[in-house]
Amino acid sequence: MTTFTVSPPPHRRSKISIKTLMWGRVAALVPISLAAIYFFGFAALGNIAASILGAVIIEFAIEKAFKYELTILDGNAVYIGLLLALICPPTLPAWMIFLAAMFAVGIGKHAFGGIGSYVFHPALAAWVFLSLSWAQDMLPGTTPITSSFSDMILETGAGFLGEVSPILVLLTGVALIAMKLVEWRIPVAYFLTTVILAVLLGDPVSYVITGTFLLGVLFFATETVTTPVTKNGRIIYGILCGLLTVLYGYFSGNYVWGTLYALLLSNAIAPYIEVNTLPKPVGGVAHE
Amino acid sequence: MSAIKLDKLPEKVILPLKQHDGIACAPLVKKGEEVIIGQKIGDCEGSDLAYIHSPYCGTVESVVEMPNPSGKRVLSVIINPLECADSVDFIPEKDATPSRLLEIIKEAGIVEYYQKPTYLALKPGKRIDTLIMNATFPLIANAYLDSLDKVLKGFRLMLEAGGISRGAIVIRADDKESIKAFKNAKVDGKPLTVAPIIGKRHADYYFEDSEDEIIVLAGGKITYTPTMMNLLSGDVMGRKIPLGYKPADVHVAVCGVKSAKAVYDAVYEGKPYLENVITVSGAVNRPGSVLVKFGTPIKDVIEACGGYKGEPGKVIINGTRVGVAIYSDESPVAKDTTGIVVQTKDEVLRDVSSACIHCARCVDVCPMNLLPGRIAVMADQGMYEKCGEYYALSCIECGDCAAVCPAKKHLVQLIRFSKLQLLKMCAEAEPAEVTE
Repeated sequence: MTTFTVSPPPHRRSKISIKTLMWGRVAALVPISLAAIYFFGFAALGNIAASILGAVIIEFAIEKAFKYELTILDGNAVYIGLLLALICPPTLPAWMIFLAAMFAVGIGKHAFGGIGSYVFHPALAAWVFLSLSWAQDMLPGTTPITSSFSDMILETGAGFLGEVSPILVLLTGVALIAMKLVEWRIPVAYFLTTVILAVLLGDPVSYVITGTFLLGVLFFATETVTTPVTKNGRIIYGILCGLLTVLYGYFSGNYVWGTLYALLLSNAIAPYIEVNTLPKPVGGVAHE
Repeated sequence: MSAIKLDKLPEKVILPLKQHDGIACAPLVKKGEEVIIGQKIGDCEGSDLAYIHSPYCGTVESVVEMPNPSGKRVLSVIINPLECADSVDFIPEKDATPSRLLEIIKEAGIVEYYQKPTYLALKPGKRIDTLIMNATFPLIANAYLDSLDKVLKGFRLMLEAGGISRGAIVIRADDKESIKAFKNAKVDGKPLTVAPIIGKRHADYYFEDSEDEIIVLAGGKITYTPTMMNLLSGDVMGRKIPLGYKPADVHVAVCGVKSAKAVYDAVYEGKPYLENVITVSGAVNRPGSVLVKFGTPIKDVIEACGGYKGEPGKVIINGTRVGVAIYSDESPVAKDTTGIVVQTKDEVLRDVSSACIHCARCVDVCPMNLLPGRIAVMADQGMYEKCGEYYALSCIECGDCAAVCPAKKHLVQLIRFSKLQLLKMCAEAEPAEVTE
C-alpha cells in the first residue's frame, strides 16, 4: 500500500522565500558595487569585503554562541554588510567598517531579536555608530550634485560608494519593484513627496537625487522589517520619509545626510503609523 | 466536456453516516442485510441533518469506523456491491406544493457544497430575496452542461421551495463553455440573459431592467470556494456581509450546481441524492470530471482516471488551498467532496517556517482586508482577545496569505486556532450574561 503525506493546507505555495527576497536585493546591489570598485579602486573593494565579512562573522559567532539555527545562507547578513559599505566613504579604514558591520548585525539586528524584529535598519544604525565614533573619517571628500545627465551615469563628485552611479541604483531598484520583490507604495510615495517638496521650497532637484537618496528610497525605506504593514500605513510612511528628508536637507543643505537621518527617525515612528492605520474588514463591523 | 463514468463496480463501498458538517446519522441496517439502490440506510433527528441512502445494491459487510475524506474516522456502513439494478420505487412528484418540495429535498438528503443541507439553505428563517447559484468551479459546471435544462429546472424548483422570487447564476467570466451553454439555454421558452458584473452593476441592476426570474452573471475570474460567502454576496449582489453575520442576513441564499441537479432528480424522478460529479486533477493519467456514486473509494475513482502518474505523494480532497490531505486512498467520496488533487512525491512541500519579516505580502493578497501576519503572531502567543481586535473572525480561511508567505508560516492554521478560541470565549461568556 502506498503511503501518503498528510499535512495542513495550503498544499501549493509561492516559490518566493525570504532567501529569494534577500539574495534578490543583494543581486540588485551588485552593479552599483562594481561601479564603485571601478571608480574608487581597491579601497572600495576592501571596504565592501571587510563590511560583508564583519557582518557574516558576527552572525556566525552569535548564532553559534546562543545555539541558534545558522541563518547566514538566507543572505540577510550579507545584505546588511553590503548596504553599509555603500553608505560609507571609500577613505574609511577597513577595520572601522569591519567593526561597524559587527555592530550592525550584532547590536542592530541580533540584540533586537534577529531577523524580523529589529526596530532600526541595522545598516543605518551602524552608519550612525560610525558617524558618532569617527566623525572625521566619515566625512566624504565631496558632496555629489547631479546637475547633468552624465552625472546620473557616473557621478565624479561621489562621496560614498553608493553615489557613483545613481542610474544603476534606480534601474536595479525599479527592476526589483517590477519583479514584485519590493512593494511599490513606499518608494513611490517617498520619491514624489521629496521631489515635490524640494521644488516647492526652491532647492534644485540636482541636490536631491543623489545615489544615497535613491538607495534610501529603493532599499532602506523598503526594508520590510522597519516599515508598517498596512497599505495606507506604507503610503503615510513614504510621505513621512520624504517630509523629513526635505526638512533635514533644506535646513542643513545636505540631502545625503538628510536622507539617512530621516530614514532613521521614520523607522522609529513606523509602529505608531501601523497601529493607527488598521484596516476594517470587507463588509465592515456591525457592532462597535 | 462530459464526465467520466466508473465502469467497474468497486470491491467495497464505504458509506459514511455523516457526509456533511452536521449531525451524524444512526445506521438503519445491520451486518448481513441486503440493501437495494436508493434504500435509506442512515436516519437522524435534529435540525442540521442529511439522510444517507445507498447508491449501490448488495450486502452489508459491517458497520464500523472507517477513514473519511474529512480526515477523521467516521462510523460507516460497508457494502459489498453486486451487479444488480434493484432499487426502491422512485415516485416522481411533479406538482408538489412549496412545503412539500422542501420536504422532498430534505428526504433526499441533499447537501450544499458548503456543508449545509439544502432545505436549511433555502429556508434559513429569514427573508430571502435572491438565490445565488455558484457555478464558478469551471470543471464542475462544465460537467453538468449536458443536463443544463435539468439543472435549470432544479434551480426553478429550489426558488419555488424557498419562496424566493429571483435567482442569479454566477459563472466565471473566462469559462467560455459555460457562457455559451447558458446563452443557448431556455427557461419557459425564453432565452436566459447573460450579463457581466462590471463596477457597481450588480445583480440588482440587471433584475431591475428585466422581468426574468433567473439571470446569469459572469463575474470575474474568481472561484468562490465554500468559505467565500461574503465575497460572493459582495461581488454579485453588492451586499457585503458585516462581521458575525450570514448571507441570510443580507437576504441572500446560496446553492450549488450539483444540488440543483439533485433537486431535479429528487422531484421529477423521485431519486434521493446518490451521485455527484467531482473533479480529479494533478498527477493522474486522465484528469477530468468524474460522475461518482457516494461511497465509492477514492482509489476506484483514480483508477477510472487512468491511475496515478508517477509515484503519488499526496492525495488532497477539495483543492490545494484549503483541502485535506488524506492518509489513505481507501477513503470514500462523500456528499461534501468536490474534487481530488493528486501530487507526486516531488511536489509535496517540505518548507520550514521561519520568522516573519513583515513583508506585508499577506496584507496585500487578503481579500477580506485583514492583517493575517499580525493575527497569526498574536494567536501564536495566545493573545486571542487581541486577535479579535484585529478582526480574526472575519477571516474566510481562503489560504491566500499562507500561499504567498515567504517565511512559509502556517498562517491559516494559526488564525483558525485563534477563531476557535475566540468562539469558545464567546460561548463561555454568553450564559453568564443571561444569568445577570
